[in-house]
Amino acid sequence: MGIEISRLRRQFGQFAALDDVSLSIADGEFVAVLGPSGSGKTSLLRILAGLDQPDAGSVHRDGEDLLTLDARRRGVGLVFQHYALFPHMTVAQNVAFGLQVRPWRLRPRASAIKASVDELLRRVELESFAARYPAQLSGGQRQRVALARALAIQPRLLLLDEPFGALDAQVRVNLRRWLREFHRSLGITTLFVTHDQDEALEMADRVVVMNRGRIEQIGTPEQIYRHPATPFASRFIARGQPLPGNVEGATLRVLGQVWRLDGFAMDNVHAVAVHVRPEDIVPALRQGEGLCARLLSLRHVAGSVRAGLQVDGVEEPLEAEWSERDWGRHGAAVGDSIDIHFQALTIFGTDREGRVHARSECHPPHAASPVAVGPWRRLSAE
Amino acid sequence: MMSAVAATVSIGGRPSWSTRVARTSLVFAALMVLVWLLVLPLIAIFAEAFRQGAAFFWAAIRQPDSIAAVRLTLTVAAIAVPLNLVFGLAAAWVMTHFAFRGKALLGALIDLPFSVSPVVAGMMLILVYGKYGWLGAWLEAHGMQVIFALPGLVLATVFVTLPFVARELIPLMQSQGSEQEEAALTLGAGGWQIFFRVTLPRVRWALLYGVLLCNARAMGEFGAVYVVSGHLRGLTNTLPLQVDQLYDENFSAAFAVASLLALLTVLTLGIKRLLEWRHGGELRRQY
Repeated sequence: MGIEISRLRRQFGQFAALDDVSLSIADGEFVAVLGPSGSGKTSLLRILAGLDQPDAGSVHRDGEDLLTLDARRRGVGLVFQHYALFPHMTVAQNVAFGLQVRPWRLRPRASAIKASVDELLRRVELESFAARYPAQLSGGQRQRVALARALAIQPRLLLLDEPFGALDAQVRVNLRRWLREFHRSLGITTLFVTHDQDEALEMADRVVVMNRGRIEQIGTPEQIYRHPATPFASRFIARGQPLPGNVEGATLRVLGQVWRLDGFAMDNVHAVAVHVRPEDIVPALRQGEGLCARLLSLRHVAGSVRAGLQVDGVEEPLEAEWSERDWGRHGAAVGDSIDIHFQALTIFGTDREGRVHARSECHPPHAASPVAVGPWRRLSAE
Repeated sequence: MMSAVAATVSIGGRPSWSTRVARTSLVFAALMVLVWLLVLPLIAIFAEAFRQGAAFFWAAIRQPDSIAAVRLTLTVAAIAVPLNLVFGLAAAWVMTHFAFRGKALLGALIDLPFSVSPVVAGMMLILVYGKYGWLGAWLEAHGMQVIFALPGLVLATVFVTLPFVARELIPLMQSQGSEQEEAALTLGAGGWQIFFRVTLPRVRWALLYGVLLCNARAMGEFGAVYVVSGHLRGLTNTLPLQVDQLYDENFSAAFAVASLLALLTVLTLGIKRLLEWRHGGELRRQY
């Protein structure tokens, strides 16, 4: 059954933080809500936690209306971006809080509370820190205390707000893996909010891409990365870069280059956008063929080279990403002109029935063979 | 002036001769101001109080009127300070946790007692609660006396000391935000539990500070209380008023009672220092 979110709407003055958001989450699922700041993801989280009320829409859990329940009775564990630990309490007292504030009839005995605090601290690997105060812990340790505190009330839904936002890059990567494993061992339904694509794609069973209060796409990390359904999802998740281009009949034109489209089964598709990913911009095999680009900048990042390229007809510089090894073969300097080639393009279009998108493999121009367009996919959210 | 600037700039490195001179002279100047404005007058009060010997001092402060004045001052403070504690907490909570129409006005009203002269405050109370005031007839008909009685003294004191607690709490609560309260709510805590277990412990030092300042001012208040008191010796004279009356009649006795008032204030500050010293570690841990 899980959580059923239906047509949520939250308006702040003129600004729609949530605009007709529907989403269902299966029991035990690990879902990431991914979007830039202001996309409405935190509003969604606060409504689920009971800290805010929507203007319209409903949230049901196993058929029970969640919105009528007060925040303190929802059984929803919330972990804040900045932890929101109680600074005047020790780690153990923080974790015990949710059990100690229960009405006395439901409150476990002191010994039982201590036992479950010990157990939780053991699980988050902080058993030797029970007597410390939050200020004496590192960021990663505080995050784990916040998690243990939220889990102490045995929530049926766990919400994480930018859980790694305030941590160092190295700690973040370690904690990500740890949290993924932790979720696997607990099996608790979890929704986490982030603006970090890598984080969402690496950790979640399913990713919900949000923009301006609307859901752009829902899918597994692989689906979303391979087939971003909207220009926004493409830009945000696959670093897709817009190119001037259009589709006429069975011909794709991009920057003066023309490809004959093969497998173009649909009529009347109008391309609204053509995107290229950094890793799909490659140096041309033969000089004098492909597009002429001027190398504006070169950055070496963790085994790959990121190049800024100025191409005539494209306003913003294009970013290309190559492995160090590939780059070594060509070796141009900043300011040089090189010939480049697009290996694959993503086409976003509309037809009579709505929005469609497809990824097409582009052969080098000298091959002269038609371009294979992948199957057209329909934007199911529409 | 230039060397004073240099003194603040060169904090990191080894200070030059001129910066050392500047620093020393600044510290000396600050100390001299304190000595001439605070320490010497305080000593003078105690010196004057004991000028005619300890026996005279004892006799002066053990007069029934003086004892009554001490009792009245403590009574007024004991009522006014808790009232302002509750008001200050509530006002600070409202000001920092909610957005509402008239919030700026409320902020200005909290500051009003700082800007209005206490004498004017006393006059306002007479205009409202006095015999010929707006509520005078009604109060008299119901057998209640406010002006020239304890309620009037309390009202005047509450008015004058209103901002201390709220002003101490508002900046702190503002900087803390309400995430911890929200966390407590999602963990199942009720309103009072959140207040006593989360909100109050986080502001307790600022609260204590505000209460002590409020108390010191409540015991020392003169202007507003002067207007509404009626100066009935042994009945409506607080310590500052008693000092004022004695000053015209019995110079040394006035200083004996004044030293008592000074002692109460010094005691308040002493308690504050003691608590800071005892709980200093906790303070550092939290902030």
